[in-house]
Amino acid sequence: MIKTINNLGTTTIEAIEQIGRTFNLLLIIAWKIVQAPYRVFPIIKQVYFIGARSMTVILISGATIGMVLGLQFYNTLERFGSVGVLGSAVALSIIRELGPVMTALMVVGRAGSAICAELGIMRISEQIDALECMAIAPDKYLVAPKLVAGILSVPLLNFVFNVVAIGGGYFVGVILFGVAEGSYVNGMIDSVLWSDVRLGLVKSLIFGLLIMLICCAKGFYMHLGKYGSQGAEGVSRVTTDAVVISSVSVLFCDFLIGALMS
Amino acid sequence: MTTSAIEIRDLVVDYGTRRILDDISFDIHQGEIIVIMGGSGAGKSTLLRCVLGLKKPTSGHIHMLGTDICHAAREELYELRKKMGVAFQQGALFTSMSVAENIQLPLREHTDLDENTIQIMTRIKLDMVNMLPYENLMPSELSGGMSKRAALARAIIMDPKILFFDEPSAGLDPITSAELDELIIMLKETLKMTIIVVTHELESAFAIADRIAILGEGKLIQIGTPEEIKNSQDDRVMDLLNRTPRENNMDKDEHLSRLTQDNR
Amino acid sequence: MKCTLHSENDYDLLELGGEIDLHYSPDLREAILASLKEGKPLLIDMADVSYIDSSGIASLVEGFQTAKSAKLAYGLLKISDPALQVLKLTRLDRVFSIFDEAEKFQAQL
Repeated sequence: MIKTINNLGTTTIEAIEQIGRTFNLLLIIAWKIVQAPYRVFPIIKQVYFIGARSMTVILISGATIGMVLGLQFYNTLERFGSVGVLGSAVALSIIRELGPVMTALMVVGRAGSAICAELGIMRISEQIDALECMAIAPDKYLVAPKLVAGILSVPLLNFVFNVVAIGGGYFVGVILFGVAEGSYVNGMIDSVLWSDVRLGLVKSLIFGLLIMLICCAKGFYMHLGKYGSQGAEGVSRVTTDAVVISSVSVLFCDFLIGALMS
Repeated sequence: MTTSAIEIRDLVVDYGTRRILDDISFDIHQGEIIVIMGGSGAGKSTLLRCVLGLKKPTSGHIHMLGTDICHAAREELYELRKKMGVAFQQGALFTSMSVAENIQLPLREHTDLDENTIQIMTRIKLDMVNMLPYENLMPSELSGGMSKRAALARAIIMDPKILFFDEPSAGLDPITSAELDELIIMLKETLKMTIIVVTHELESAFAIADRIAILGEGKLIQIGTPEEIKNSQDDRVMDLLNRTPRENNMDKDEHLSRLTQDNR
Repeated sequence: MKCTLHSENDYDLLELGGEIDLHYSPDLREAILASLKEGKPLLIDMADVSYIDSSGIASLVEGFQTAKSAKLAYGLLKISDPALQVLKLTRLDRVFSIFDEAEKFQAQL
């Protein structure tokens, strides 16, 4: 009994320490990034890395989800005789919810995990210490470009996802099930408002930052957490942790943002 | 007035209730090669990390070239680090860059030197460590010995005043190890560097050291010239030098029960 | 760092002195390259150099390379002890043409 409470206490303290460190990292980088030297090229490299790694999975999952939505909405709407609103239904669901969330989750899996592992390995092989001893601030040199790249690339990937998904819905609804093309497209144009697009945009910006922040902090501060002395196995554990925590955070924030902005 | 490059005073490091470093005080003179030795768990790595500013001690002061690095602001610490070079035990080369790019990194970050100058400087240092043919290899393509030499070239690229060397000979064959020893001595004599070496290797230590500091269980057991250390009467020092295995005074019954006890 | 250029009859003499480190070596480099551009042989007097680091050496090396391409004579004069030690460490003492008297350099032209 005592042991359980003990463990609970330890876990809670660790969790709070980690959250504190993560926000601390964000503040430090926000402060440093507005000071010289300005490194633009590493940001572009990271955007390419995140985009290139995630693009295939975004295209595939976008098309698939769009088609699934088309299928399921058609099924439901047909019972109420309202297949004309298929376009609006698919578009609004994608733009407001599924686009931002699915994009974020895919990026976590592809790029977030890789970045966490990379920083974790650098930490345990003393590369980050080496940077410190060369008077190169590792948080600015390594982490900052990744954070900025996250904020830039996730909304872009989200846009691609949205386009492909709406196309998938079109394919199923119009081409397979014979919904009138006019009603699909016009329904979509009529019902999607700037507030919907804005919601999706805000979500993907915040998700992009959140994912990169959690994955970077987990890897970068690996030596301060419980896996610090476990070497390669520790890296894989920390990466798994990062993926799980990022994903859950995305889902939670999705609700929060939706509630606050409605 | 003082010829000390580094002054360590009353250094204490605790990890929770464990005391890793217990009141360590000594000076490192400018232009000397000092070797820090000790058994495993004696606190060598912790001491090194404190002196590099990577770890803040529980209490104590470390003055390096006039600055107390335990209480210095980050900018001050970074300015100081531009005059330091560190060669880590595993090399710690950046895996996404070639050997040459690794070595050039401090130059690109901290100076405005012309591209040609950077190239020539890189090659000069590579030549010093006999790595010139391998300048375009990636770190993953290097052997252990080559990684260490590349790491040394990176550590000395800016001609630092103080050079730190963590286990230089670990994993090297005797010939390469001897060549590295020679290089360390030449660096001290020609470039007047203060060099701190942490090592297990007795032969290297006695070959290169001006002074040797022996740590044991977190305390500074003895510090002196190689002669003084060789003639030491302290048991712990003599054990270390004679490579005497640790005594295991064993009770037969106790040992038997340890081996056969049910450990569930 | 002291770095002054004298024009002799058939060559340029660059007098160096003091400490040549990361801060001053770009100036040294410019001085050497500018002088070589003029097309005259270059002799560098290093008697008063108290300290030279690898960036300084690199400038000397680049100068040598440039002179070689332009087929101009290039030499170092009266190298101070500290500087000679560094050149020996980098094995460049065997690469440069080193003279202890300016006349010997002149005689070679």
